[in-house]
Amino acid sequence: MTRYLNLYGLFLVQRFKILMEYRVNFLIGASSTIFLQVSSLLTIWVVMSQIPSLNGWSYAEVLLIYGLITLAKSINHMFADNLWTIGQQYIRTGGFDRFLVRPINPLFHLLADRFCHDGIGNFLVGLVLVATASRQLDTTWTLSNLLFLLVVVLSGGLIFIALNLITGTAAFWLMDAVPVMRVVFDFHLFAQYPLSIYPRAVGILLTWLIPYGFASFYPASYLTGRSLGGLAWLAPLVAAILLLIGYQVWKFGLRHYAGTGS
Amino acid sequence: MIHLMRRRAGIYAAFAGMVPKVFLAYSMWFWVGLVLNTIAMTILVFFWQAVYSNTTSIAGLDLNQTLTYILLAQIFAPLIEINMIFEFGYNLREGGIAHALLRPMDFQSGMYAQHMMQTFTALLLQIPMALVAWLVFGLRFPHDIQAWAVFVISALLGRTILFFFDWILACLTFYTTEVWGLGVLVYGLSLFFSGSLVPLAMVPGWLQTLALATPFAQALYVPLSFLTGITPLSQAPTVLAVQVAMLIAFGVCSRLFFRVAVRKVTVQGG
Repeated sequence: MTRYLNLYGLFLVQRFKILMEYRVNFLIGASSTIFLQVSSLLTIWVVMSQIPSLNGWSYAEVLLIYGLITLAKSINHMFADNLWTIGQQYIRTGGFDRFLVRPINPLFHLLADRFCHDGIGNFLVGLVLVATASRQLDTTWTLSNLLFLLVVVLSGGLIFIALNLITGTAAFWLMDAVPVMRVVFDFHLFAQYPLSIYPRAVGILLTWLIPYGFASFYPASYLTGRSLGGLAWLAPLVAAILLLIGYQVWKFGLRHYAGTGS
Repeated sequence: MIHLMRRRAGIYAAFAGMVPKVFLAYSMWFWVGLVLNTIAMTILVFFWQAVYSNTTSIAGLDLNQTLTYILLAQIFAPLIEINMIFEFGYNLREGGIAHALLRPMDFQSGMYAQHMMQTFTALLLQIPMALVAWLVFGLRFPHDIQAWAVFVISALLGRTILFFFDWILACLTFYTTEVWGLGVLVYGLSLFFSGSLVPLAMVPGWLQTLALATPFAQALYVPLSFLTGITPLSQAPTVLAVQVAMLIAFGVCSRLFFRVAVRKVTVQGG
């Protein structure tokens, strides 16, 4: 574990050396996702300024939901973005073979190969939204609340990564898994708003099958004092189970990797 | 003279004719797009239904009008799809820009023919999406022929304005060589300012004025507002005249800017 942490540090240092060669590009990339969020946030602002609540959720509460899912997404964006490119950048070109002859876990190598600085913008937006929402909601930040926030954001990030890992593994057969990944990934858009605005089936889907609800709606419900029972604390367990499944699927895919002959 | 014109039209038509073939080569993306659009529509429909659960009207629009607008905005989304920033960036990196500039034809006209065909093909491929909107979400298509006619004219003008704007932005890549950030920024802003997420009639005055001044709104909101009855047809002459003026202004600026910017072209490889 320590070896891998040290290795990740080394990969990260190298990556930042590359990024700093083109500082303006780095800044543009890191801030670009902020502008991507502007449209959705402006829409929420325009709509929420004309109605008292969205299905019982105030403007600040909706921002909290949006902020939490954005934070979770940013973890995936920064640390596991290479899952999107495995087909096009590694398998199709034959570059994936490089990972197989090195004495480290190929999945670790793939993820550590590229820290995606574009995710920094998402992280900052999420952070600002959660801070703004909690200030408007007068949330008392006790140690347990802060710990809860940290755990659910990390769990949310891992849920994103695990789902991308499961769908991204399709690249071992399809050469490019982006279409498959996009279909599942886009379900997170549901979780940008309270799940209570959708029919029950959507809620069940976003809780038990593609559980993005644990990255936003359930933690926000807990933080805003809504009664949830055990669901509020399930996020780490859901993330752990999904990661386990994801890793098994990955290993299955890896066993069937045949290369492209490039 | 006529022979020359026919020859030129033939060349541009050949360029445009390649576009549908490119679309057909990636059929998997068509099906994925259908699923993604259905997801987006589902979210928007339930979002707006929840919004209207506490009110009957927002900015003079009731739920049915808003849903009709939003669903049509999703169907006609190809009107605001722009990709020239990435295209120019790719061509700079790979060296394709050199070939494009050396061809004995007007570069911008060739690109315009291709992009209009791209939009047309993408709109045709939205037919299944329109069926989903009709059968699943109960979209009732407007049936006023005049409104459709004004919509088509306004959409053509708006799409052309957006093409010139996209062209100007793409020329910036001759200076920056970086395209990703700029592309993402423009895409992000286009979603809101085009009115694809929220009818601009609901937006506060100052922001509405700002949005309407952008080519994004001219390409989607303005035409759709006629089709959905948000803007009365009696205002069509004024609105269309503004669009024509914008088209000329953006067209001239795009030609002038390209003439200056092209001197900065530095091919990175290829």
